[in-house]
Amino acid sequence: MASLTVSGALTSLDEIRAFVNEQATKAGLDERRTYRLSLAVDEIATNIINYGYVSAGMDGDVRIVATEDNGDLVIVLEDSSPPFDPFSHARPEDLDAPLEERDIGGLGIFLASQNVDEFRYEHVGGSNRNIFVMHKQPSDGSLASQP
Amino acid sequence: MAFTVTSETKDGIAILTLEGELDAAAANDFRAAVEEAADGDPRRMVLIIQALTFMASAGLRVLVFTKQKMGSGVDLYVVGAHDAVLETITMTGFHHSVIMLDEYDAAEIESM
Repeated sequence: MASLTVSGALTSLDEIRAFVNEQATKAGLDERRTYRLSLAVDEIATNIINYGYVSAGMDGDVRIVATEDNGDLVIVLEDSSPPFDPFSHARPEDLDAPLEERDIGGLGIFLASQNVDEFRYEHVGGSNRNIFVMHKQPSDGSLASQP
Repeated sequence: MAFTVTSETKDGIAILTLEGELDAAAANDFRAAVEEAADGDPRRMVLIIQALTFMASAGLRVLVFTKQKMGSGVDLYVVGAHDAVLETITMTGFHHSVIMLDEYDAAEIESM
């Protein structure tokens, strides 16, 4: 298990991605799957920082924990900003509309969920927990498992 | 890796070269460069992203902003996207509104 605590500021995103890349490499994920995992975590961390802390006028940390569990790499982002369930936000439906007509909301959440094998959210003991799972040996037909 | 954007405008074509990692922290720099390039009223805008190693949705949002800023009469080219960056662009449908190229060919772009 490895963990990192960073301040809830956009300048921490670099460090978060570097941590995820390192853990993914250690777990044996290939380059593409490492990128996808890093992107997913970055998107949710960005939402936590922007919508959790900054717009709530709060300071706080983000904790990121990596564990290997039964052939999976599991990354958990924990924060104590107000409860924010990403699944309560609508998926972007207008993906084929011209750029100028796009509704941008929810894009980050969409990218996060599409780029990992499993993405779930819990609210436990006053903390938001965003959980990302990448199977070390992909076996299903999901995008996340494609080369 | 830190994000940088450099720009030049030549013959009415604005060329922005993006390098490094385009996350939410870097998006404002990109947006500022777009605004500055747009002030010159270019007839075309080209984004060279061969050295862009990461792009989050914040970067996609600036693409939307760029397209809106330029208006429908100005084409936006995106050149040299890495496979992983290209995947993000296509899975969100953004490839419909920009012209994706593998390489920058000035003569070809000028004649389009």
